[in-house]
Amino acid sequence: MATVEERVKAVTAQVLKLDPDQIKLEDSFTADLGAESVQSIELVAMFEEEFGIEMEEDAALSVETVDKAIEFITEVCKEQGVDVEQ
Amino acid sequence: MNKAKKHHPLVDVKEPNLLEDTYPYSLPPLIRFKGPVIEYIDGKAVEFDFGAVKDRNILISDTTFRDGQQARPPYTIDQMVHIYDLMSRLGGPNGVIRQTEFFLYTKNDRETLERCRALGHKYPECTGWIRALKGDFRLVKEAGLKETGMLTSCSDYHIFHKLKFRSRAECMDTYCEVVEAAFAEGVRPRCHLEDLTRADIDGFVLPFVERLMEMSSQVPEELSVKIRLCDTMGFGISYPGAELPRSIPKLIYKLNQECGVPSDRLEWHGHNDFHKVHTNGGTAWLYGCDFVNTTLFGFGERTGNPPLESAIFEYIALKGDLCGINTMVITELADYMRSIGLPIPDNYPFVGRSFNTTRAGIHADGLRRDEQIYNIFDTEKLLARPPRVAITDKSGTDGVVHWVNEFFGLKGEDRINKIKIHKLARWVIDQYDEHGRLTAISDQELEAKVKELMPDYWEKYTQSLRGARYKGSQK
Repeated sequence: MATVEERVKAVTAQVLKLDPDQIKLEDSFTADLGAESVQSIELVAMFEEEFGIEMEEDAALSVETVDKAIEFITEVCKEQGVDVEQ
Repeated sequence: MNKAKKHHPLVDVKEPNLLEDTYPYSLPPLIRFKGPVIEYIDGKAVEFDFGAVKDRNILISDTTFRDGQQARPPYTIDQMVHIYDLMSRLGGPNGVIRQTEFFLYTKNDRETLERCRALGHKYPECTGWIRALKGDFRLVKEAGLKETGMLTSCSDYHIFHKLKFRSRAECMDTYCEVVEAAFAEGVRPRCHLEDLTRADIDGFVLPFVERLMEMSSQVPEELSVKIRLCDTMGFGISYPGAELPRSIPKLIYKLNQECGVPSDRLEWHGHNDFHKVHTNGGTAWLYGCDFVNTTLFGFGERTGNPPLESAIFEYIALKGDLCGINTMVITELADYMRSIGLPIPDNYPFVGRSFNTTRAGIHADGLRRDEQIYNIFDTEKLLARPPRVAITDKSGTDGVVHWVNEFFGLKGEDRINKIKIHKLARWVIDQYDEHGRLTAISDQELEAKVKELMPDYWEKYTQSLRGARYKGSQK
């Protein structure tokens, strides 16, 4: 199974139409990767679908960078009893 | 830059001060006064206590069927009877809408009046409107009315150029003969001082009104003359310090305090030629005139009259209480008027289709978090019109999610969040970014897209809302 990092990068690449290899952990979704308002919502929605979780809207949308997203999703998966590869 | 005259330190707080004494939300914002208002009249400082309006018996009168009909094709009898019935419900048992006036000249005029009176409503009382001709009082008497308006135009434009009198004295004598005729028939005359704001106040208006008061002192109180201040061309000005004849404060003071016309026999009738009509009506109330004459949705000659529904909200704001008024009937009246072909602009206050609809995404976000941020008062409770968003390229995901929640009638914890509507938000944005759309997206289009892109929610909420709420949103 792919790791959380690989899956987050894959979803980000798909939604923002980027090459996954270009995405760095410290990248900001908006400033570096160019996510517009609706794409931020799409990212959260696609993460939910990918991991089978439900995220709190304001908290999820306040996550700014890829590494923070990985951390946040891992935590939510743990809370909601979803097994993921670290 | 001017040197600061007073220091204003920040008052830091942890809890917001929402100024709820003025903005109670369950009522329109209240109009509160602090201290007296001074107007200089003939070199003398005159004090007015606006706060007293709360305890005064101010009222609304209506001319929808007279002035209101001069601006449109005639209503049918059935339409007028229905409007009268709704107006009675709107004004409530205290008769805040105290009177409405009717033409009496045609068979239809008289049948309308009879059918309205047959409804048995105490308010609005029905009054007449006639020319200043002695013979016309027969019509008033036959109709069994206690009061009628009559034209007593008072500017020299009217006296000399329209009515062709040879002198002011001849004009005044003629008017007074008609007033005598009214007294003789047992009908209270309401003298409409047409074109007052263009008249010679000292040279004609005040002497004429003094004579009317003298004549009134000879008859029973119920026949004594009422005075309608007709701002026929919308020239009236509310600002303190303005000169006569345009100054509303000075006009009312002179008639009320110098000529001795009691406040309950003074009525303001405005026109909207300079967009001042509503404020001028409110000003008349504050300076001592008890009646403001209005029409539904402001329809009247040329640019119209003070809108009745706005006067209703002004009334509540001044009184700080609904006073028995049923504001929900305003929406019913607007729906009815539209159904009989009366156009009401979308952005028209209180009743236009978009009066509480926001288009900007940033405003929609405010609405989503707390509707009070961008709604003037509880429009759902007072007008059955919850705040809405219209969807355009400026709406953003906040606008889309607000629309969806309104559509499904979801409140509080049940409201859907932005994440769940991402497909719909994407479709909206692509309409503009990818397809070059330039128009707003209609409710019907969005409804179809909700069904297509959010089938689970559609199934869940339209099933459970098959009743009134869903039907309501389809209208």
